[in-house]
Amino acid sequence: MKRPSLAIARISARGRVLAVAALSLGALALPACEEGPPPDLGAAAPAPTVQPLPPFEAVPASLTRLTRSQYGNLVRDLFGAGVVVPARLEPDVAQAGFFSVGAGRTSISPRGVEQYEAAAFDIAAQVLRPEGRGWLACTPSGPEDAACYREILAPLTRRAWRRTPTADELDGLVALALDAGRTLGDPFEALAFPVAQLLQSPHFLFRAELGEPDADGTGRRYSSVEMASRLAFFLWNTGPDAALLDAGEAGELVTEAGLRAAAERLLADPRAEAAVRNFFVEHLGLMALDDLTKDPTVFVHASPDLALSAREETLRTLAHVIFDLDTDVRTLFTTRTTFVDRRLAALYGVPAGAQEGFAQVELPADGPRAGLLGHASVLMVNAHAVSSSATRRGAFIRKALLCDVIPPPPADVDTSLPEPSGERPTMRDRLSSHAANPTCAGCHAIMDPIGLGLEQFDGIGRFRTTEAGATIDPTGDVDGVFFEDARALGEALAASDKVGPCLVKRVYRYATGHEETLGEIAEIDRLAQRFASQGHRLQALLLDVVLSPGFRTVAAAADTDETPSGEGAL
Amino acid sequence: MIIKTPGTTRGGLTRRTLLRGLLGSAAVTVGLPPLERFFNESGTAYAATCEALPRRFGLFFWANGSLPEFWVPPDTGAGFTLPPLLEPMAALREKISVVSGTKVLTGNPVAHWSGAGGFLTGAPLITRGGEEYTFAAPTLDQVIANEVGSATRFRSLEVGIERGQPPISYSGPDAGNPSETSPAALFDRVFGGGFVAPGEQVEADPKLRLRRSVLDAVMGDAARLKARLGAGDQRRLDQHLTGIRDLERRIARLQEAPPDLAACVRPEAPLAAYPDEAGRPQLQAINRAMADLMALTLACDQTRVFSYQFHRPVSNALFPGASMGHHQLTHDEAGSQPEVKAILLQIMGELSYLLGALDAVQEGDGTLLDHMVVLATSDCSRGRTHTLEDYPILLAGSCCGELRTGVHYRSPSSENASRVPMTLARAMGLRPLTFGAAEGEVSEGLSAIEAG
Repeated sequence: MKRPSLAIARISARGRVLAVAALSLGALALPACEEGPPPDLGAAAPAPTVQPLPPFEAVPASLTRLTRSQYGNLVRDLFGAGVVVPARLEPDVAQAGFFSVGAGRTSISPRGVEQYEAAAFDIAAQVLRPEGRGWLACTPSGPEDAACYREILAPLTRRAWRRTPTADELDGLVALALDAGRTLGDPFEALAFPVAQLLQSPHFLFRAELGEPDADGTGRRYSSVEMASRLAFFLWNTGPDAALLDAGEAGELVTEAGLRAAAERLLADPRAEAAVRNFFVEHLGLMALDDLTKDPTVFVHASPDLALSAREETLRTLAHVIFDLDTDVRTLFTTRTTFVDRRLAALYGVPAGAQEGFAQVELPADGPRAGLLGHASVLMVNAHAVSSSATRRGAFIRKALLCDVIPPPPADVDTSLPEPSGERPTMRDRLSSHAANPTCAGCHAIMDPIGLGLEQFDGIGRFRTTEAGATIDPTGDVDGVFFEDARALGEALAASDKVGPCLVKRVYRYATGHEETLGEIAEIDRLAQRFASQGHRLQALLLDVVLSPGFRTVAAAADTDETPSGEGAL
Repeated sequence: MIIKTPGTTRGGLTRRTLLRGLLGSAAVTVGLPPLERFFNESGTAYAATCEALPRRFGLFFWANGSLPEFWVPPDTGAGFTLPPLLEPMAALREKISVVSGTKVLTGNPVAHWSGAGGFLTGAPLITRGGEEYTFAAPTLDQVIANEVGSATRFRSLEVGIERGQPPISYSGPDAGNPSETSPAALFDRVFGGGFVAPGEQVEADPKLRLRRSVLDAVMGDAARLKARLGAGDQRRLDQHLTGIRDLERRIARLQEAPPDLAACVRPEAPLAAYPDEAGRPQLQAINRAMADLMALTLACDQTRVFSYQFHRPVSNALFPGASMGHHQLTHDEAGSQPEVKAILLQIMGELSYLLGALDAVQEGDGTLLDHMVVLATSDCSRGRTHTLEDYPILLAGSCCGELRTGVHYRSPSSENASRVPMTLARAMGLRPLTFGAAEGEVSEGLSAIEAG
């Protein structure tokens, strides 16, 4: 097991805690859903075996496929914002909660190869039409103008492949253009072929950041050119610009000062906001809003447009906290500042603030809604098509926001809940059957009481006080802290000592594209302490992650194929 | 029923050998496109018996299991009584068989996915803690495509009816094959630019050579990159290369005269989109468009292997008339679950439509369905409990007489469900020694459904 996907708490199928480290990260080790009293999640977590943390150990590199959003961003960088990026592309695969992790494990299917070919020629046709040629470095004088082909293809290939192509590679691209030029008689038609090669090459579709021996020869680091890519994909969600490639090729990005200067420049650029949005879309599961099923007979306000508005509200609020204010991200759980369009305003029952588009509004001080847990986005994603779901909302908070590990529900168990009835009108009444069943109680005791705090928001996030005629009780507790309602739950999370370290872990996972290994726990712990000491500001965290050895060093690739390891199954 | 002769692959001869025999000294070279093997020098088809026709394999998959009390026929053997959930199959009853009482033995750590992956690969999932998983081995459709896929333009096709599906077809770990869920996209792929109908002229296109040159260059890039990678990444890049080679082969065929397949016609283009109606997906309309396209795709021999994912494991699709999503219903609906039953009847109705479309294509002395086998199954036995016992398995088509149809076989001893994929691989002409891994591994098929 060379690359254990240690989720800090590793739990056997029998519910025995094998190893629990770094409790300061707030990891919660839950016994599997077995019979017995619910675990006490207050101050006394299950008594773990605390082991000293091993020193930092770099993780082997892995080939990483561009995500769909990275492909689109990079194509627009190359050819201009007007390019329509084809929608039929290999789908992203989420692993460990992130497309960025899936991108390091999957490949490209035969259908994906077809789609990338079609997309490459589609893009080439767009950018070689008379009105699309603004990116060309020169205008070919004829179909066999090799010099101009070279002048066009050299900088294009460098941006597309995130490195200067070798002389052979460039010669090959020019030769392809000449061949096509002789065959077709038109230089612009001819250029479509080298452009299509660039966009289908594994040098474009995959990030191969393999490292080099470090300065003192004791280990391996990412090369300065590779660091240009890593920085750009992490902080901009696209490839490096020419200036960053220059810095990479000048060797500046393997020094702390050079890396810091480059990262600060990137963070000050608007593309950093787009990248942070992309992180939170993956982290909070907001991609589900692209295609969410809601029964319109139950939820009359539901529509695909409402789902997209809800995502935009959350992303604008995040950008406001992180970039406009550069303040403690935990205020996200309590802030009354939000961004609504007319659709959301109607759902929330607040003034719209603007006829068109979004406007910043303050939610009422005495209202039921504040912070992320009052956003329609997370409320509708973590719900059913016809109802809310206290269990799903509780699981979302546990897993995404607190980094707790919840074993999957056991198979071969009858999971049916009692029908809604006069005796059990509310979700709380129905979910009480979980507590009564010892097989379910263990896990549901840590999900349902949190999620029940959000029951005053229905399956699309509309406020309500009753369900089936009965008054909804929105009280609950999270890790032993009692709360009155959703707003108090938000305050409890903002004050929780688990939320900050959990976000650090997720940012680290996203940035490095793999699940944390045991040799990285101490470093993540250190980053979490820095995050707290710097006021929980995300921009500062992003900079710290860039400067961390976890982002800059790499182990040699394994000689054996270790991907199909089954660790975690136990 | 076709009597097996020494000419079939199970008799020890490959089809190529067989055809060489049939054609005698006719000029058949290894380099010829495989379809031409079925035609004589003047281009007319041989009498289309099963010896000369390709066999095809289809996988039909639906989510959230069954209701065994309404699924398992009450009696066994030939002429079995159709159970309530199979009533939509009445018109095809002599062409289907039911296998009940078998068990998926590969463990159940990830509800639904353990069943889907365990049955279709015969191997336990690779799990990575929590609910992370990948299939550990190629699924049956890909095992078959690896053997027969190079004969056709597409080595396999994966389609789905519900949007947004994670794959159930895998070429290996972390190598899922995503489903095409838009009939228009399937039409474009199969019957768009690259398709030539029988009788149509192929126009010379110099750009095709250049497209192949591009792919050659891409393969060169990949080969140079591969040399610098570790073993795991080399495997992943190889998967990419396989796809590029497939595509290059497909482009090379674009300039060949199309085979004269009697049942092959260019279909009408389907609707560009099937938007939800009242918040519910148009599963029936999409299924029928997709089924019609798939039947013609096979009739035109564009592929011989497909997977057809009606909806994704754990799907919570809102079906017409249902009060909540499918998955939620399987867990929350009380009693005998009439709403779940109604959904299963709709799914079986749509399966029946697909099978009917395949059966409507006349090929030689039978129909397309007679020359193939469709395996229909799900991600668990009973949705409410995710059990893997008494797995739901329906077979349609005799695969050129290799399989018994019109029978219900009920395992008396909870036999390993992997025996079914083993038998189907053999019926398709493969000669696997085993199928599956660990507890799922078998070296025997299910003789009760194999034609003697």
